[in-house]
Amino acid sequence: MDVQRAAVLRPPRIEPAVLWSALAVAVGYYLAARLGLAFTLQPHPISTLWPPNALLMAALLLAPARWWWVLLSAALPAHLLAELQSGVPVAMVLGWYASNCSEALIGAALVRKLVPGPLRVDSMRSASVFLLFGALAAPLLSSFLDAALVTLIGFGDGDYWTLVRMRFSSNVLAELTIVPLILAWATWRPAVLRDTPPRCFVEIGAVFIGLFAASVIAFDLPILDAHTAPALFYAPLPFLLWAAVRLGVRGTASALALVVVLTIGGAVHGMGPFAAGSPQDTARELQLFLIAVSVPLLLLAVALEENSRAALEAREQRLQLTHLSRVAMLGELSGGIAHELNQPLTAILSNAQAAQHFIAGKGELDKVELAEILKDIITADQRAGAVIQRLRALFKQGEAQLQPLDPNDLVREVLLIAHGDLITRSVEPMTDLAAALPQVQGDRVQLEQVMLNLVMNACDAMNTMVAGTRRLQIRTRTVGGKVRISITDVGSGFRLEDYEKLFQPFYTTKPQGLGLGLSISRSIITAHGGTLWGTSSPGQGATFHISLPVLDLGPITAPPMT
Amino acid sequence: MPSIAIVDDEEGIRKALGRLLRAAGLEAHGYANGQEFLTAAAERRPDCVVLDLHMPGMSGLQVLRKLKAAGLLLPIVVITAHDEPETREQCLSSGARAYLRKPLEDRLLLNAISAAMRPLSAPTKR
Repeated sequence: MDVQRAAVLRPPRIEPAVLWSALAVAVGYYLAARLGLAFTLQPHPISTLWPPNALLMAALLLAPARWWWVLLSAALPAHLLAELQSGVPVAMVLGWYASNCSEALIGAALVRKLVPGPLRVDSMRSASVFLLFGALAAPLLSSFLDAALVTLIGFGDGDYWTLVRMRFSSNVLAELTIVPLILAWATWRPAVLRDTPPRCFVEIGAVFIGLFAASVIAFDLPILDAHTAPALFYAPLPFLLWAAVRLGVRGTASALALVVVLTIGGAVHGMGPFAAGSPQDTARELQLFLIAVSVPLLLLAVALEENSRAALEAREQRLQLTHLSRVAMLGELSGGIAHELNQPLTAILSNAQAAQHFIAGKGELDKVELAEILKDIITADQRAGAVIQRLRALFKQGEAQLQPLDPNDLVREVLLIAHGDLITRSVEPMTDLAAALPQVQGDRVQLEQVMLNLVMNACDAMNTMVAGTRRLQIRTRTVGGKVRISITDVGSGFRLEDYEKLFQPFYTTKPQGLGLGLSISRSIITAHGGTLWGTSSPGQGATFHISLPVLDLGPITAPPMT
Repeated sequence: MPSIAIVDDEEGIRKALGRLLRAAGLEAHGYANGQEFLTAAAERRPDCVVLDLHMPGMSGLQVLRKLKAAGLLLPIVVITAHDEPETREQCLSSGARAYLRKPLEDRLLLNAISAAMRPLSAPTKR
């Protein structure tokens, strides 16, 4: 009990990672404050964008709540250093520190309450929570405090509500621009660079160069013709949309930050469409414009990223399910596999033991016979190795690997894999393979999985028949410009009313079956651009057909003349 | 020299078992399927049969049943690479003297063959 209490009372040990974060916050806060001061419109100082608060909120959103006090404390020296240089009274400097911290704290606490853990702006839900509470509620609430402190201390000359409005829009823009940027880049790892193909860098370069040029033309050059000014607002839009559609949240947040910096930079230097009015009007117009651009683009990027992630996850799951059903099928094949391995093992053992007897015998050793024995042992060993090799390929899990395949090869390979099962179940396989069959494009393992599944189903359908009458036929043909592989059994067949059920997941007529075979087989064949269907006359067996598109080798070019 | 028939669809196994039996002083003849063996056995009865269970076409069990139906009571040792409890019973009840799993230990096989060739003790009358 005492030990526990002592543990509770002991001040928490600060991890090195927190100290690094605190240092990063202090440096970042100082630089952000300098940037904010640089974005101040003159002659009446009005900040258009005040990034330190947003930086602080982003830091809190990434850190565990128990370290928030460390990060907020780290901002104080940076705040004092930046603000005291600008000749603001100490009371006001401290007041602003309090209101800046309050904004970050309110936003981070509300968002954390609704989205636990470090925030990632990668789903519509987390993005909405951030926009509503981090970018709207927090700036709004802290603006009241900020304006109250300014009025109380008597710094500046605006009335209370004007101050609230100015603080609010400046902070909203900062939250919108800075927080998603930091959150998106916080999860970035240099390893990403290795997996990025060169054309992606070209695209990223094109987006940002185009965006930079469009923004400079629209916002950082003197306005030549007042009538074309409204149209200039739209100049960066194509590049921003490009970023949202193709570059994800990280790319969009970066693109938006670039536009914000260039737009405000232009206005501060008296350039672009916003420079015409009073500093107050300029700031308001600028902020409203940038907020109106940022919110929909950010949401668009998040929605698209969420969609593509969901598609990727579904793909991953389908791949896992395909592998799972393949492994389950191999489990069903295990008896036949044991047979296939026991045969060469028998040849190896009996040959070796025969050789032992020859060597131990009294007569003269027949070297020719011994050499024959060793040769047969090697052959049998290689055969066992080939069995294992074929199985290893089927057990492997991974992405589909498309390659040109000879359908007849696939049939032969499948019959080799199923050989043990066919023999032990007294099923007689017959093949009728078309001589000149075009190649198909596909994943060898997945196509073999489908055919193996159909072969196993055919065997199961003939289980109750007398041995010697169980016949399986595999036929390959070119029909209507497509390769067709047909697997026919002479078993019980299926009724027409059961047909669609056959392809439904978890529908099975086998006691040990998962019921995934045909449903996964069909999805594999569909993914190969083909079709899988069955025909049957009940009592007279069934045929399942796989139709696959022929590999298009393109126009055949004549070999170069020599 | 006792003559042993080896019925197995795999040539590699017929050869290996043939060598083993010859090394043990037996005469061995290989047959690639049941039909080939039945035809030969009708001409000349082997002293013992080593019969594989799983063969394409006629299975070992069918061979056993055909022999039984023909009244040809040969000493038979069934060998299999795919062991199932029910097939052992089926084979033994269809006239097999022994049922061995592949791969085959030489001693086990040779013992089974010599045991199978020993004449069955006449049933004792009560």
